Amino acid sequence: MAVKFLQAVPVVVIISVLAFLLLSLLPGDPAVIIAGEQASPAAIEQVRKQLGLDRPFFEQLAIWLLNLAQGNFGSSLILHQSVLSAVVERLPVTLSLAALSISFTIPVGVLLGSVAAYYRRTWIDSLVMTTALLGVSIPAFWIAILGVILFSVQLGWVPSSGFVPISQGVRQWFASIALPALILSLFQIGFLSRMTRSAMLDVLGQDYIRTARAKGLSEWRTVGKHALRNALILIITATGILLSAAIGGSVIIEQVFALPGIGRMVVQAILARDYPLVQGTMLILGFTFVMINLTVDILYTLADPRVRHD
Amino acid sequence: MRRWVARRGVVLALSLIIGVSFAAIGSAQAQQPKKGGTLVYASVSGPGTLDPYMASSAVELEVIHNLFEGLVTLDAKNATRPMLAAKAAASEDFKTYTFELRKGVKFHNGQEMTSADVKASFERYRRISPAAKNYEAIDHFETPDPYSFVIVLKEPNVVLFDIIKSPIYPLMILPASQKDKPARDIEVIGTGPYKSGEWVKDSHLVIVRFDDYVADTSAPGRDGYGGRKTVYLDAVRYRFMPEATTRIAALQNGEAQLISSVPSELSARVTQRKDLAIREVFPVLGSYIIVNSQKGLTSNVLIRQAIAAAINVDDIIEGAGGLNKRNPWMSFPGTPYYLGETAPTPWYDIKDPAKAKELLKQAGYKNEKIIIETNSNYQWMRSTMLIVAEQLKAAGMTVDVQITDWTTNASHMQQGTGDWNLSTTAFGPDHILGPQQWRPMIYTFPHIVGNETLDKAYSEFFTAPTLDARRASWLKIQQEVLGGAYLVKIADTGRLSGYSKKLQGQNDYAGVLQLWDLWLE
Repeated sequence: MAVKFLQAVPVVVIISVLAFLLLSLLPGDPAVIIAGEQASPAAIEQVRKQLGLDRPFFEQLAIWLLNLAQGNFGSSLILHQSVLSAVVERLPVTLSLAALSISFTIPVGVLLGSVAAYYRRTWIDSLVMTTALLGVSIPAFWIAILGVILFSVQLGWVPSSGFVPISQGVRQWFASIALPALILSLFQIGFLSRMTRSAMLDVLGQDYIRTARAKGLSEWRTVGKHALRNALILIITATGILLSAAIGGSVIIEQVFALPGIGRMVVQAILARDYPLVQGTMLILGFTFVMINLTVDILYTLADPRVRHD
Repeated sequence: MRRWVARRGVVLALSLIIGVSFAAIGSAQAQQPKKGGTLVYASVSGPGTLDPYMASSAVELEVIHNLFEGLVTLDAKNATRPMLAAKAAASEDFKTYTFELRKGVKFHNGQEMTSADVKASFERYRRISPAAKNYEAIDHFETPDPYSFVIVLKEPNVVLFDIIKSPIYPLMILPASQKDKPARDIEVIGTGPYKSGEWVKDSHLVIVRFDDYVADTSAPGRDGYGGRKTVYLDAVRYRFMPEATTRIAALQNGEAQLISSVPSELSARVTQRKDLAIREVFPVLGSYIIVNSQKGLTSNVLIRQAIAAAINVDDIIEGAGGLNKRNPWMSFPGTPYYLGETAPTPWYDIKDPAKAKELLKQAGYKNEKIIIETNSNYQWMRSTMLIVAEQLKAAGMTVDVQITDWTTNASHMQQGTGDWNLSTTAFGPDHILGPQQWRPMIYTFPHIVGNETLDKAYSEFFTAPTLDARRASWLKIQQEVLGGAYLVKIADTGRLSGYSKKLQGQNDYAGVLQLWDLWLE
């Protein structure tokens, strides 16, 4: 496990350097954005100098890597605060969104996928899979706007936007994040139910399932214990992917629901060519994704002891 | 001759007293201001900085103008009126400007504002602001007593008041303790009617009523950015909502009482409710086609004029959407430099493809490609340039439309980089403040180099002693800029804001958001 952890370090560094290089290839000048649309060339030049953007490209890269080695992720050009503090401030929002959406997704997605597999080629299967297809296909942006109009304006169940930290009350926190998390989970539920159905179909045709039924086990124990347990590897893999996708997918959801999370911050940073902020966030998110994969690896060994021996 | 700005204020004050008195008779019963409550204002995004000397975007300025004040400012007619100064005067040779400060004005930290604070503010501004170049002519400052401040210039500048009152990169007065603070790193302490509260980036910002605010009693009520400001609200909470649909939803379900930037195609969602309304804020910007005078084909004035001749403004206004009105001038009607109803050049909206073809023939045009660059971030810009492309094609031009992002597009326009002949953008305060504010834009965006007529007209402007003489110079400048088709004017544009009818006290002044004299029923 320690080896896997160490393998992650160069991956993360490569991600961040690539982000630096890709950003620098983009045309556009952050000084123009920061100085304002109506700034004179002299004003833009002054901003560029103040921000150190007048230095050669490799000098900027070297300074950033040197600072990184000292644990300094740099300072955002548009937020005027350290990248680390900017990310830490927004992390609870994005994690809340991702965690809640995953907590909606896993039980619903696994249940729907299992039901669809069990009632294979019946109207139930068709209904579940059609619904899953809709979940995967409908653009999150569109369904989010419909969600706001229905649940906030028409029904008045939840606020239209904004985030309340959990420290200010669990109920208020849940109200602020429930609809965005639900919208985010629609795609995930569609994806996970299809994956679960596929895995379960494979398992339900195995000899040991037939044996379990032959020895008189109830359908609930046969499917719930023997089949599902053996389908777990695929489900865990899908969940790891979905958690990463939830963090990535939060970009659109945070935008529509005005949630002050990392996704929204990154979009603004890219548009403003805020190199330190994009690089730092890429680095931190890259590390997060590596950790998710590491966790998935650990869960494999718990779900299937054979993995440990391999 | 000494030019007392305060005098204009007195005349205006008298007229306002008369006007307001008549208005008050009719509405006093119905609209008695109520103190208290928190106004929630949903805007597109939050400020990057609250350092006024670094602030140029609307989202920054609409917070800053409620927290800070300057020596002089724009009145409701966009003329100069004192704000923290009781009087402001220029010497006959326009080399010495004297400000008599109002006494007893308090900063949010409780300290009284004095000339030492004013001097420190000017010094910091000259050190860090992107607009510091406007103050290059300053020789030194004098503070003969705590309530007098003098600016001594190296050379005459007839428009220094106009520069100081600019609402963009505003020269607000900060406590002297902020003098050495780096750019964007101040403590947010001003003399304005609100003081800063909680600020969570990307989420919300709160400003609260400054109970020790000392209002300018020289006016009976508010007057543009100045005058007697009264704050009825306990606090204002800015909430940052990038999506228009979400802002409208917040207004509809009562989470917000005021929202910015309502797209015209969504305005019916607001007006269909009896308790909500739309306010037209107009004019805010002027939209232009920018012609790159240093790039291939468009370095030829005949080609540029052919482009201008092919433009049909009405089609663009209809196609681009939003709130637009025709205006051939580079100043808004009602501002000091607006020169009248007729166009300054023969090119405005002549929609004459035949004339364009004739000019192309004279220029020896051989179907070379004219490159239009626009962006995907601003729909009105993209729509405008797609319509322009069709109009140019109809006049026999070969056109290539390239769509990029706004950051790239803006960089290309401002720096002359990239491969483009035409683009578009809009300009704001320049239309109010006039030629001195316009100058960097005029030279920068179309990349005008070596135009002696324009240079001479600007030299005349900066030495013209009277407003009439400066207006004459401004006519020559516009004739050169629009006549030479460096810029092609499209229209004046405004924006729509949505509000709950519980919010009372809004007026028609189209400046940056002002939160004084508003109350909630």
